[in-house]
Amino acid sequence: MSKSAKAKDQIVRILISAGKAAPTPPVGPALGARGVKSMDFCKEFNARTAHIEPGIPTPTLITVRPDRSFSFITKTPPTSYFLKKITGIEKGAAKPGHEILATISLKHVYEIAKIKQTDDHMSHLSLESIVRMIVGSARTLGVQVVP
Amino acid sequence: MSIQSCLRKAQSSRGILFQCHRYVASTSSAAPPAKKSQILHSSCAADTVLTGLNYLKNQPPILARPDEEYPEWLWTVLRPKELEDDGPGGRKERLERRRENKQKIRERNFMSTQ
Repeated sequence: MSKSAKAKDQIVRILISAGKAAPTPPVGPALGARGVKSMDFCKEFNARTAHIEPGIPTPTLITVRPDRSFSFITKTPPTSYFLKKITGIEKGAAKPGHEILATISLKHVYEIAKIKQTDDHMSHLSLESIVRMIVGSARTLGVQVVP
Repeated sequence: MSIQSCLRKAQSSRGILFQCHRYVASTSSAAPPAKKSQILHSSCAADTVLTGLNYLKNQPPILARPDEEYPEWLWTVLRPKELEDDGPGGRKERLERRRENKQKIRERNFMSTQ
């Protein structure tokens, strides 16, 4: 008697605008390939992100089980998104470290860190660690942090 | 003592201007203690509206608070972290050794391309 191979959960990481999940291109094929009904996912996603301003990119982690049922987790928007929105720049620097595109205050960084700490995977870190992480992200974007 | 001799000479020539100067010199000792309690850490004044941080619906605009309400470590974050000296087997020595080793590897790899 042959052993059936243990089917594994498939994980899909995707960045979706809050409240605007639709079956079309970014979401549709990614989920459809795994056998998930995109309409179901979109309805549930939009319901769960109803409290977020529409259009904000929300990273989600979707776990698709072998029986084609799914569950997903939403996280806080990316740090780079916050930094770009605060400074008003569209794209990060082409030569980070050599170019400075904008400046940001430590108070802004503190507020971003407070938002990020509400995330599950950041909840055990001290606020100081998170602030240092964001300062590092700003450096790679070409955003200078001033006190 | 030299000040007094200067003043005696000044009184004969300039009069009012030098007397004002002496008045300022005597009260300057009172000014610094009052100013020290208001050292500004931040270039961002209190009550500045911080834009771009509202990602929830119907969130009130976030205002910057006065410098005293932020934790002290916030102003040290732009400088590299200072580790306490643990002694021979401590964390500081380990981290420094790792950093040096990584730097040596990077240099060795670079030299092998030259």
